[in-house]
Amino acid sequence: MTRSRPWLLALAALAIAAIVLFPVYWMLLTALLPSELTRSRAPVLLPRLSEVSFDAFAAVLARKPVLTWLGNSIAVTLGATVVSLTIATLAGYSLSRFRSRAQQSAGFALLLSKMLPASLIVIPFFIGFSTFGLINHRLGLVLANAAVGVPFATWLMKGFFDGIPREIELAAMLDGCNGAQAVWYVVLPLARPGLAACATYLAIVTWSDFVFARTLVSDPDLWMLTVGMQSFLGEYLVDWPSLMAVGTLSLAPVFVLFLLLEPFLVSGMTQGALAN
Amino acid sequence: MIGRSRWVGYALLSPALVAVGFLIGYPLYLVITTSFRQGKTLDVLRLSALPAGLGNYRTVLGSEATWHSVGVTLVYLVGTIGPAFAIGLLTALLLNRAFPGRRWLRSFILLPWAVPGVIVSIVFLWLLDGSFGVVNALLRQAGWLSTDLAWFANDDTALGAVIVATVWKAYPFFTLTLLAALQAIPATLYEAARVDGATAWQRFRHISWPGIRAAAVLAAILNTLWALREFDIIYVTTGGGPDRATETLAVRIYQEAFAFFRMGTASALGVMTMVFAALLALASMRTLRREYF
Repeated sequence: MTRSRPWLLALAALAIAAIVLFPVYWMLLTALLPSELTRSRAPVLLPRLSEVSFDAFAAVLARKPVLTWLGNSIAVTLGATVVSLTIATLAGYSLSRFRSRAQQSAGFALLLSKMLPASLIVIPFFIGFSTFGLINHRLGLVLANAAVGVPFATWLMKGFFDGIPREIELAAMLDGCNGAQAVWYVVLPLARPGLAACATYLAIVTWSDFVFARTLVSDPDLWMLTVGMQSFLGEYLVDWPSLMAVGTLSLAPVFVLFLLLEPFLVSGMTQGALAN
Repeated sequence: MIGRSRWVGYALLSPALVAVGFLIGYPLYLVITTSFRQGKTLDVLRLSALPAGLGNYRTVLGSEATWHSVGVTLVYLVGTIGPAFAIGLLTALLLNRAFPGRRWLRSFILLPWAVPGVIVSIVFLWLLDGSFGVVNALLRQAGWLSTDLAWFANDDTALGAVIVATVWKAYPFFTLTLLAALQAIPATLYEAARVDGATAWQRFRHISWPGIRAAAVLAAILNTLWALREFDIIYVTTGGGPDRATETLAVRIYQEAFAFFRMGTASALGVMTMVFAALLALASMRTLRREYF
């Protein structure tokens, strides 16, 4: 590794980050500036700080049921994440500690899930949910998102459990724990970064969901943020500052979660991706 | 085995098996059976009453629109994976070096991966807007553009615009897989090469590249499968238009099913897309195996 010119490298990385994050910056600027500045033939790229206002946020909250969409997104995301994470933790532990034929099938299921377009899987979901009365139901969205999250989340958790030596459980059991206690008191606390990363992954995926939210729900009271944002585009004149304000609200939690948990997420993702 | 029977293993696995079975296996079965149901119905509960046969496959294979979508999909895949790989490799090589603030800059450079597809769509629609888009304004200032160009609404530029948005979301996956592979290369190799007087290019060509080639192939496969499934960005920005210019297979499946309520042909198209994906995965797996052994 070279140790030469670290500041130059930092500068290069900063420049790249600035370029690739420009779309996000422009979204934020459009939401925060009076619309004359961004809806202009010669938009200002670096405005004065004094021009910042939250008018677009106030306007869109008054005119559109953004809080309802936000509530639906939060409810579905929490539900799907809890369900998937529970299932994936149990299954990941099993795949990590018990060698069986199930392991190969698990790899196959993972690959299969990577080949299923959401726009295809939503067809049988639509048919099935129509049969069971789950259309126009938040529970339907929770189940659909949980289902598509489980295979990869399981693989992630297996990777994290593989990194925890078996001897630790054995030691706990010698000290008088039974198997379940050893897992609950010893293994799970050690897997905490893995659980956090896996939960982040699942939450981001569900929060981003558009296909299911658009197809399995038609009642506007049950729309998620993604569907709400898309509804702006159907209007004759798109209200860009309002739309960017909703976009900012919707991206903010993802942004914070990702920045905090990225190191864990990345180590898990690459383990998961490279392991198969 | 920690002295427990393997039944415990299966018991822990059972919720996942149920989830995968009911919510992926059964739907898959439903897609396959539906693909043989001919005709259209607005009531999906009556699908099973429709006559069965190979008609949908004949319709799909004989339709010019299908082959148009196959072409669009191929352009979309190649157009996305190539630039995304280049940006991913460049950023991975940069982030592999030590410099101040690397932890946060890495997070920022990887961030687009986590941005929801719908947000990617609305942001690029706004950036590339015909009247007030900032990209047009910058191009006008630079003197490269004299007219207003609505990138997503123009037949010739729509696919390119969709690809740019997709590349933006796709490159971080390459960055992080290639970065992980780069970090697994022992630093001593580089030191030895330096002692021997190898240039930066030679170090890349003979140390870095062989070390990351397998990961690069794998990441390219996974990202191709992802792009093949990608729906949100295209559907929200263009809906497959204008005049089908951006109608990839994933978008066409959805339009057949939920715009025209032809569940049978949509499923047939879906089954064929999956077979295509499976063949692609299989073929590249074989290459990958050759890389390893």
